[in-house]
Amino acid sequence: MTNTQQEILRVSDLSTRFFTQEGQVNAVADLDLRIERGEVFGIVGESGSGKSVTARSIMDLIEPPGEITDGSIEFHDSDLADAVRDDYPEAVDGEYVDLLEVPPEIRESLRGTSFSMIFQDPESSFNPTLTVGEQLAEAVEVQRRASSRPRSTRAKTEEYSFGSFALSTVLPSKKYVTEESRNRAIELLELVGIPDPVERADEYPHEYSGGMLQRAMIAQALAGEPDVLVADEPTTALDVTIQAQVLDLLADLQEETGMTIVLITHNLGVIARMCDRVGVMYAGEIVERGSLEDVFDEHVHPYTEGLLGSLPDLDGTTGRLQPIAGNVPSLLDSEMENRCYFADRCPKAMEDCLDHPPEYDAGGDDHEVRCVLAERRYDRTRALPDGYFGETERAAADKHADPDRTEEDVQPERAEGTVESSGGDRL
Amino acid sequence: MISDRVKSNLKRTFFQSLLPKIGLVLLVSIILMATFAPLLATHDPTRTGYYDEQGAEYPPIGHEYTGSIAEDGEIVEITVEPTSEHILGTNNVGQDVYSRFLYGARVSLLVGVLGTIMALAIGVPVGLIAGYYGGRVDDALMRVADTMLAFPALVLALALIGVFGESPVMVPDPFVMIGLADGMPEAIPIPGTVTIVVGLVSWVWFARVARGEALAIRNEEYVKAAKSFGTSDRTILLQHVLPNSLTPIIVLATIQIAVIILLEASLAYLGFSGTTLSWGYEIERGQDVLRTRPWVSMFPGIGIVLTVIGVNLLGDWFRDALDPNIEGEGR
Amino acid sequence: MSTETPDTAGAGDAPADGQPLVRVDGLEKYFWENNSLVDRLLGDDPVAVRAVDGVSFDIQEGETLGLVGESGCGKSTTGETLLRLQEPTAGRVEFDGQNVYDLEGSDLTEFRRDAQVVFQDPFSSLDPRMTIGEIVQQPLAVHDVGTEQERERRVRELLERVGLSVEQLDRYPHEFSGGQRQRIGIARALALDPEFLVLDEPTSALDVSVQAQVLNLLDDLQAEFDLTYLLISHDLSVIRHICDRVAVMYLGEIVEIGPAADVFEDPKHPYTEALLESVPRASTDEQDREIETLSGDVPSPRDPPSGCRFRTRCPKVIPPEDIDIDRAAFRAIMDLRERIEGRDISLETVGEDGQFEFEDGRLAVGDRSEFVATLKERVLDRDLPARDDAIVEEALAELAASDWEAAAERLRDEYETVCERQNPPLSGTGTETRAGAGTGTGTGTGMEKAGPSSTSDGSSADEDHPVACHLFAESGHRAPESDSR
Repeated sequence: MTNTQQEILRVSDLSTRFFTQEGQVNAVADLDLRIERGEVFGIVGESGSGKSVTARSIMDLIEPPGEITDGSIEFHDSDLADAVRDDYPEAVDGEYVDLLEVPPEIRESLRGTSFSMIFQDPESSFNPTLTVGEQLAEAVEVQRRASSRPRSTRAKTEEYSFGSFALSTVLPSKKYVTEESRNRAIELLELVGIPDPVERADEYPHEYSGGMLQRAMIAQALAGEPDVLVADEPTTALDVTIQAQVLDLLADLQEETGMTIVLITHNLGVIARMCDRVGVMYAGEIVERGSLEDVFDEHVHPYTEGLLGSLPDLDGTTGRLQPIAGNVPSLLDSEMENRCYFADRCPKAMEDCLDHPPEYDAGGDDHEVRCVLAERRYDRTRALPDGYFGETERAAADKHADPDRTEEDVQPERAEGTVESSGGDRL
Repeated sequence: MISDRVKSNLKRTFFQSLLPKIGLVLLVSIILMATFAPLLATHDPTRTGYYDEQGAEYPPIGHEYTGSIAEDGEIVEITVEPTSEHILGTNNVGQDVYSRFLYGARVSLLVGVLGTIMALAIGVPVGLIAGYYGGRVDDALMRVADTMLAFPALVLALALIGVFGESPVMVPDPFVMIGLADGMPEAIPIPGTVTIVVGLVSWVWFARVARGEALAIRNEEYVKAAKSFGTSDRTILLQHVLPNSLTPIIVLATIQIAVIILLEASLAYLGFSGTTLSWGYEIERGQDVLRTRPWVSMFPGIGIVLTVIGVNLLGDWFRDALDPNIEGEGR
Repeated sequence: MSTETPDTAGAGDAPADGQPLVRVDGLEKYFWENNSLVDRLLGDDPVAVRAVDGVSFDIQEGETLGLVGESGCGKSTTGETLLRLQEPTAGRVEFDGQNVYDLEGSDLTEFRRDAQVVFQDPFSSLDPRMTIGEIVQQPLAVHDVGTEQERERRVRELLERVGLSVEQLDRYPHEFSGGQRQRIGIARALALDPEFLVLDEPTSALDVSVQAQVLNLLDDLQAEFDLTYLLISHDLSVIRHICDRVAVMYLGEIVEIGPAADVFEDPKHPYTEALLESVPRASTDEQDREIETLSGDVPSPRDPPSGCRFRTRCPKVIPPEDIDIDRAAFRAIMDLRERIEGRDISLETVGEDGQFEFEDGRLAVGDRSEFVATLKERVLDRDLPARDDAIVEEALAELAASDWEAAAERLRDEYETVCERQNPPLSGTGTETRAGAGTGTGTGTGMEKAGPSSTSDGSSADEDHPVACHLFAESGHRAPESDSR
């Protein structure tokens, strides 16, 4: 998009694991990402693919039992690099700073000013007892204080004490931190296209509709003028007409401010509308990435193909859908074999797929695929026999019921290992 | 109804933490003590008597007495310190505290369990029906429940006892009947009105919890689906609503047992129990000599505390194990 | 269900003039708020939430009718009410010629066998404490079908058919993935061999790849068991893929209904158009596609707008006949009107701090023109034609005296549109008999021709593709005579 083509974020070998009752869940494994300044990068995947965990890892929002176990997240910021070079030389590489190598306080100070995040559910992101304006003003205040101090010191000092709570019940006028921050809050509301921002600032979250709350959340995320906005399913909870409004807004804001957006969604239409480049996630890794055209028109990976083939389209020309057989795989470490994780659902699985594929160059500019098909053509003679992985359930009941079949089918175990409990990454 | 998952959750949460183990040990030992009270007791808990300073027994005089008495010009204390004969001492009418502690556990637990069963029997159906049908039915039933709540439980209990009397029920003791425990009372009195009263003042809590559950469950899609193929309300209530609302009800029941034991103790303490074989009554008796002879009140007091703690710990365990949101439910 | 037969008759075996399998007529379902004993004692009047407000449609045997709309438009309530899972406020639903709400005894039992439902949420639609064998067997047990062994066999057969292995019979729902649970729900719905299935968002909780599996399954089952579907969904592409006919709902009313191909390729109602436009396409051309997003939010069903319910957001709201104004400008004026009528402008905050001082709600006369100018800048983001500009300024001047009434009146006098006076009937379906279709049922009288007719061929809504919009009101004149089909 921009001429400079500078990478603002370099994620390498990122692994995020969850240590649960059932065992270790590899929510994200060996993930590489390069995100350029000013682009909209889309991460698309189904539930349990690890796309949300990836976003949270970047934002440093992984909570126990989750843990980032490996990798680096390098952020391009020359000021920050200068500031921490002396204290943490191992974290600095040129103008890049590895966020996983600096102490949590510094990472925290970047939140809001360098990175911001918006979530799927705006309702739970606002405190129902404060007006939207107050909450925005607070965000503004926090960012202002953070930027008025040197990076490495604590950003969010003035804690909200019980005293200030008691005071606020007696003195309702002491709502806004300062008049400036209130004005800034109103500006932000206006920026995100909320009509009558002056009046709306004094309303409570429940007086907002879902679409307006989503806008307000975007406003909150923009309070610190972040370089990178991570949007995790920002429109999934919204109706389609409101979704269109919010996507428009995001596109406009991106154009105005030049910020980088990492957009995480399961909706391929949203990806197509918004993104410059796309990564398709499956079972905790990016299986295909490249420009929008690479992924939508020139895709190599059968999973990408399957996703697009599963999608009914609006002009009614699709005919019968071509779904992917089976279910999302378990990410339990003990159940993951060292092979292509998609092989058990893949219509083109070959013997070569029994080795975990590296990222292959699939032609085009930065179009990479974790699939042997990038290297060689599908060869029917090398295909894995049907039922190689133990058939768990017939694909789509396309075939007719065959009562005898049940005898052969003796391995139902894998069917139960669904991953809903792993990373909170549904949809 | 109790699925493998529940069992494994119960097992797992049990071994994960110390607290359920403590609760189980406490409660099991109290239940054992109560059950085998006639075999474990050293004295007939109802027999009164006087003792001199050395603990030698004087013939009973047949009426209760407090403080010290003068007999033959000598001062004789009737509360005896723990001795080898009376390991926890005696109370101020000379009854063996240890034996009364064992028998008191019987009364407390029986009243707690029976009262809770009674509260369950009234509260759960009322709550489920109110929540499931909603509207006018709900309005009517819940206003009755609110009215019940408006009375302090203790006052209501006192009023009801005032009206109906104490009506103790004599329950024959099986151990004595088959001759294993001679010299022990042949029957123990269970406070009839108290049991009913504690049930009556507690059902409201069950009704409220059950109603809340039913309100939520009736909107579950599996209930709508059941309706769509014509399942009767009765079947839906029994097959879907009741089983799915059991978890909080079970948790509440365990906690409620503790509440009822305390309520019974309070009533007995106030002298409204219809039986003197009760921890609450015993505490009251020791009140006057609390400073000088603390064991009279202390041991029944410890009994109440340990039982309540045990029951609550078990309740917490059930809650953790049965809550489907904690594990394995996927959402 | 094949996607390229827009034929209304649906499956071939239904006679062309045959009775529809399901006929919904003026269905209304209101929910009441503030309706408890306490509220009545306190004298609060109950508030009606008009979830479904006069909905009529037919479903022919063997066809799939799609009911599409945004959340809160009443589509799910429609589904539940027509199955008599909720009692209607008014209207009737005929199933096989019998009014569903009059059924009793064995007739009701039969209806309960013939009409089934598949729900959206694969997590809440299965009782977590029953095994899937028990779940699928439930309807058989309720209707006392066959012996124990026969039921068992039937359950196995059903699970097989929906693509699950029978070894899983004794497992609990939590052991299954969303797609598998949805299959279990479908197996349960099929247990009694129904004729009619209401599919309430059957795939919206599923991943796309799994959604495609379930859609294919539904497709196959319809062909195999001659099922009639009512598919309720917010996902337009799912509707397009699976439905023969489509009804579009907005705020409790159907705004347009017709063969899927017609509605999707030639949408008539501005709402349908906007809805279709809003869906992002999964194609690389998507970024070049210009879309005009709808402004604002769906109004509350507690207090729906008068007349056409879509008028508060409609980009094609019709100006009064004698006014020559472009659409966007008129839309802006209508938005302003609404804010004034809703008193949704805070006058105190106009201008710089303390620039305008209100005393007793009035502004000093000298400040007024400046006040009007400042306010106008804030509430209007476009220039209006001179004449309209003057009118708006007059109205805003009333606000300087805090006279909301007068300001609203001034604008109402000038700009009252047919869209707010009358609720356009769903013309083409014999509106006279449909008493429930909101306030305005008279079609021939007050509604004159609307502004510039939008679509080239759109001046009339044909019989099998009626639309509730004043832009197509002409067809209303002849609709009553030609009773549908």
